[in-house]
Amino acid sequence: MPCCPATARMASWVVRRLAGAVLVSIIGIAVLVALVHLLPGDPLTAIVGDRALDPASRRVMEHDLGIGRPLPVVLMSFFRDALQGDLGHSLAERRPVTAILADRLGPTMLLGGLTLLIDFTLGVLLGVWSALHPRTRAARLLDSLTLATYTVPGFVIGLVLIWGFAVHWQWFPPALIADPLLPTDASTWTVLIDRLKHLVLPVTTMVLATIAVPLRQQRSAIVGTMSQPWVTAARARGVATRRVIWQHLWRPALTPVISLLGLWLPMVVAGAVFVETVFAYPGIGALLANATAQRDIPVVIGAGVVLVVVVQLGSLVADVLYRIVDPVQREPV
Amino acid sequence: MNPVRSLRPAVVTVLLAVPTLVAQAPAGTLVMGLRQEPTAPIPYLGPPTTGNADVTDQLFLRLATLGPTARTTGDRAMVPELASRWSRVDATTVDFTLDPRAHWQDGTPVTADDVVFTWNLIHSPELGVDLTALALIRSVTATRTGEIRVRFTEPSSEQVYTAGFLLQPLPAHLLARMPASGIASSDFARSPIGNGPFRFERRVPGQSLELRADPSFFLGMPGLKRLVFLYIPSTDAQVNALLAGQTDVMSDVPATALGRIEKQGNYRFVTAPGNFVTYVLFNARSPGNPRLAHPILSDSLTRRALALSVDRAAIARQAFGPGVQTPRAVRSQAWFWVGGAMDAGRADTARARAAFRAAGWVDHDGDGILDRDGVPLRLGIIYPVQSSVFSAIAVQLQQMWRMMGVQLDLEPIDGPVWVERRRTGRFDIDIAGANQDPSPSSLAQSWSCTSAERAGSSNVGHWCDPEFDRLRDRAPTLPDPISGFRAAFTRMAAWQPAIVAAAPANRIAVHQRFEHVIVRPSKAWTSLWQWRVRADAMLPRDR
Repeated sequence: MPCCPATARMASWVVRRLAGAVLVSIIGIAVLVALVHLLPGDPLTAIVGDRALDPASRRVMEHDLGIGRPLPVVLMSFFRDALQGDLGHSLAERRPVTAILADRLGPTMLLGGLTLLIDFTLGVLLGVWSALHPRTRAARLLDSLTLATYTVPGFVIGLVLIWGFAVHWQWFPPALIADPLLPTDASTWTVLIDRLKHLVLPVTTMVLATIAVPLRQQRSAIVGTMSQPWVTAARARGVATRRVIWQHLWRPALTPVISLLGLWLPMVVAGAVFVETVFAYPGIGALLANATAQRDIPVVIGAGVVLVVVVQLGSLVADVLYRIVDPVQREPV
Repeated sequence: MNPVRSLRPAVVTVLLAVPTLVAQAPAGTLVMGLRQEPTAPIPYLGPPTTGNADVTDQLFLRLATLGPTARTTGDRAMVPELASRWSRVDATTVDFTLDPRAHWQDGTPVTADDVVFTWNLIHSPELGVDLTALALIRSVTATRTGEIRVRFTEPSSEQVYTAGFLLQPLPAHLLARMPASGIASSDFARSPIGNGPFRFERRVPGQSLELRADPSFFLGMPGLKRLVFLYIPSTDAQVNALLAGQTDVMSDVPATALGRIEKQGNYRFVTAPGNFVTYVLFNARSPGNPRLAHPILSDSLTRRALALSVDRAAIARQAFGPGVQTPRAVRSQAWFWVGGAMDAGRADTARARAAFRAAGWVDHDGDGILDRDGVPLRLGIIYPVQSSVFSAIAVQLQQMWRMMGVQLDLEPIDGPVWVERRRTGRFDIDIAGANQDPSPSSLAQSWSCTSAERAGSSNVGHWCDPEFDRLRDRAPTLPDPISGFRAAFTRMAAWQPAIVAAAPANRIAVHQRFEHVIVRPSKAWTSLWQWRVRADAMLPRDR
């Protein structure tokens, strides 16, 4: 007998939600594999480039690499191998796709995670502040600035930051995620400082390009909640302003921001492709763009699988947070 | 202008500036950005990208390499590398003697067996090696005295080049027991052991690759302690990395970045003849049915008229900046030693109009588009949408031809789709670029009657001119091969299978602290091991 019915209900709901997410992921991955299979273009190009291949070599290589198999065979073998943790080998690199993804996932999660963290802490706080001080000069300036950086493409912001902070003042490096010249026995502290220096410009670019959305979402949610009767009642009861803001105003106004978080997670993983290109940042977005351009099909599918999983994960996290934040969601139907 | 005369001083200046090297401990680090990731820097095994080739050249030597003149003809034009000398047995046999000091980086001597093993390995269909350029070789065997005996199919002045430069030996003692299909994913592929001036140190996938000087390199002590290659695919990002001091050299500097790099003051430019050429290819066959001749472009007079309408000089300058050439045949600057078939690249609209009229193209219905027998002079052009240079060329062509009454439909398409459209011949006109091999004989791969008929060949326009084939094939067998190649170029220029848009120079920005800078035509980085850092200009990363 569970001690707490609410906890048991929550656990049961999470299990059901997780099962749904797995099912949707499988369908999504199957669609992805089918779509990639139908992409025009010759995948053998990834290996041989524009050089001449005699028909015998072409046949042998296509057979070895599994190119040209019918779609049902491709789907069957993909899921059979994927269940054993094998996503195939890159056509261009001849390395396991899982190893390539492992190399790229860390940098992407770091860039995306920091962007997410700043967007949903600083952005939300600025949104609350901006809603509470709507007619001040600072709020109007903030509004204009964030709107301006939102409308400018991310790679343009990146180029401007590189020109100023990397080329002109040389405060931060303009490319890569780490200094390859760092000695292998460098101290943890040195490595940490180096990583941070490499992250400053790409993270700033990503944040400047995206922060306007959570900020504005939070601001309009707060403004919409301000006129709710429970806020008026709390104020009439003489509840302290700070408590009114954080308990009666902010918490209910958080739900639209949480739904945004669910959508944001895959966006910061895949949407960083231009920023990754400008900064030669070795992430999933640049990998996916490069693999698509080269028709390195196993890598395209592997990166796609990561995105499908991240989308489902984002959605799951958002739903769980919904239920935590909004008591109505927790009630049994 | 004679291209040989115009280019030679630049090359010679670079080479003469090299004082005698004094053996001393390697010092200094050179950091270079690569646009393509060196995923497998091993001859014949990895994808044939410039990223792989640039690193491969530091790890693996050839039997012989190109000399300062970059000539590929003549037994004495090549410079010894793994082979200390070669001698001619007869008109179709050459013996190469290996330098007894040559060794693999694990200490094992380089032997004739390595060369024979490599020759056999590259015939494995699993590797998909394009053997067209090696067609001159009949067999490679080891003699009882340990020499390498190469037999050729016919007499040619390019025999030493073909066997010496195009064969890059692999270590038989490490690879012979592996199946050919497994080598590319083996430990050796991840950490190759070569015989060159630098050893493989480490690779961080997606980021960098580091090589360290091999102090036991048999041709001399490398001047630099380490080479670090950074994977920076975007040209803009490469320029930024250079300006910020993150990298030390950059090849093929775009014209748009010249001013910024010059102004920065830390870099000087070294120019060498480039091996890249951009051209506008006419399809000889009908895009819908490759068995039929193209209804418009198979007519040489129409091709001539189209070519005369194009201001190639303007296109070349805008795309590649100063130092670019506009040869009339499809030939890069790296073949400067051949000369011939060069002009200013200006349009001649009066002659173009006359040629159109002579070919029967007149604007009968007054709609601004020329027509013949009721068929308008309307063509499509395909090019990869990712290339800003090709896109700019396509737009300029459209404008220039519109003035002459030719309608050109632009078809920018995704790179792999573009490759497939080219391979299957589904295009009227195509914008292409090629990194040409050091020898003009390599034109046979893309511009010969044999390749026109071979499925999957790079002769995607199906061009076949038996007279050009005869001239090109005969050139290396002549006592004066240079005039033979020149005659072939002249024939190609008159035949007009393509409009050569530009043959740019390889403009390399080099940090001022480097000395003994040698940049070779065709293979820019093969002498990198002789570069040094001035002792009074060392940066922290050099120590």
